[in-house]
Amino acid sequence: MLKTRIIPCLDVIKNKVVKGVNFKNIRVMGNAVEMAKYYSLSGADELCMLDINASYQNRKTFIKTVESIAKVINIPLTVGGGVSDLSDITDLLNAGADKVSINSAAVKNPKLIRQASLRHGSQCIVVAIDGKRHKNKMKVVIKGGREITKNELITWAKQVQSLGAGEILMTSMDTDGVQNGFDSNMLKKVTSNVGIPVIASGGVGSLEHFYLGYLTKSTGLLAASVFHSRKYKIKTVKKYLSSKGVPVRL
Amino acid sequence: MKKKVIGLIDGQSGNIGSINKAIKDIIKGRPYQLKIIKSHFNYTSFDKIILPGQGAYATLMSNLKKLKIIQPLKRYLENNSSYLGICVGMQILSDWGYEDKTTRGLGIISGDIKKFRNKKLIIPHMGWNTINLNKDDTIITNSFDKKDFYFVHSYIFQNIKKSDVLAFTLYGQKFPSIVKKGNIYGVQFHPEKSHKHGLNLIKNYILKS
Repeated sequence: MLKTRIIPCLDVIKNKVVKGVNFKNIRVMGNAVEMAKYYSLSGADELCMLDINASYQNRKTFIKTVESIAKVINIPLTVGGGVSDLSDITDLLNAGADKVSINSAAVKNPKLIRQASLRHGSQCIVVAIDGKRHKNKMKVVIKGGREITKNELITWAKQVQSLGAGEILMTSMDTDGVQNGFDSNMLKKVTSNVGIPVIASGGVGSLEHFYLGYLTKSTGLLAASVFHSRKYKIKTVKKYLSSKGVPVRL
Repeated sequence: MKKKVIGLIDGQSGNIGSINKAIKDIIKGRPYQLKIIKSHFNYTSFDKIILPGQGAYATLMSNLKKLKIIQPLKRYLENNSSYLGICVGMQILSDWGYEDKTTRGLGIISGDIKKFRNKKLIIPHMGWNTINLNKDDTIITNSFDKKDFYFVHSYIFQNIKKSDVLAFTLYGQKFPSIVKKGNIYGVQFHPEKSHKHGLNLIKNYILKS
């Protein structure tokens, strides 16, 4: 039976994992390579790392960090943040990423999804979607939720699938960062409208939140703070899920 | 003592970094050497060949043709020499691939590569899933039975002889997750991404056969 994936997410600037609410009060949580190694050893099913400040100078160090991480882990690695064109995708795959996640660039230029999946295969193209409720509609947002696009969430999710995305990383900007749980309602809408894997992201604060995330039919559950702060070990989450009858890799 | 030569084929089908590193770690301090195969090669000078692959069947086949790897690889396999195909590197052992367009495979293990039948399944089959061994094997020993490995694929081996299936996995249906014929092995999952059990499998393949 296919197991639900538990995926720690590292928000990275250069080679440090950081935590910051809306880019304010950025706090260093640790060294990215060391944390990646720790998660790989302690039972993470996959790792996700995002360059949250992809300026030209920081990018070089970030790519080196991807290379170092790819060398020390032997679980799949998804890398995103600041991916704007095909050459960015190639650079990250060459650095050792197994999958590359595209966000704003896909919204601005949907053809990029098709080009990338034709060149590298759908299996390594993840489209990250940030969703937010606006005037009673679920919309796609970019720039960390500051810019609301014209795209309706479900239409966009279906479109990225037909363009060749292998997976959707779905973050609700209505629940992200506040640790009150995943946005079940938004996630269920997405999973019931697409046939590709969906990773739930944004809002985990307790063990039960993971279980509620599983119930949305998301096949991957992503979390950052609860792991980085050592509130929960990955094993703790998996044992809990297993006790609730969720298939996990123990 | 003469070193055993392991060939790792770079079919330009995904990154070979992880598998390359895994092999290097295993053979460190042991009488083996690793050679990367990127073009025509002398098939008699290799003791083992590993071919990892990602993406489409047709792409890997056409890459191997372009790189002039296909003929020596076919001869190597027809000799029943030791081989480990990973993901698409396993799939091309079949007669035909039906991904995108119909493509002739290497024809070593009879069968076809077709999409999962169940239309309601989430595709690709992506994540950790269990392998169930049909029989004991010198390389894929009982210790691997019921262990989880990392899969990412939309196509599976079909119309295969039961005797060529070493392990199966369940995802909407039973499908072969390890195939074996003589000294030729193919795994549908990615051992290089499957943490300790994956590394042990590669280690067994290199050291035990």
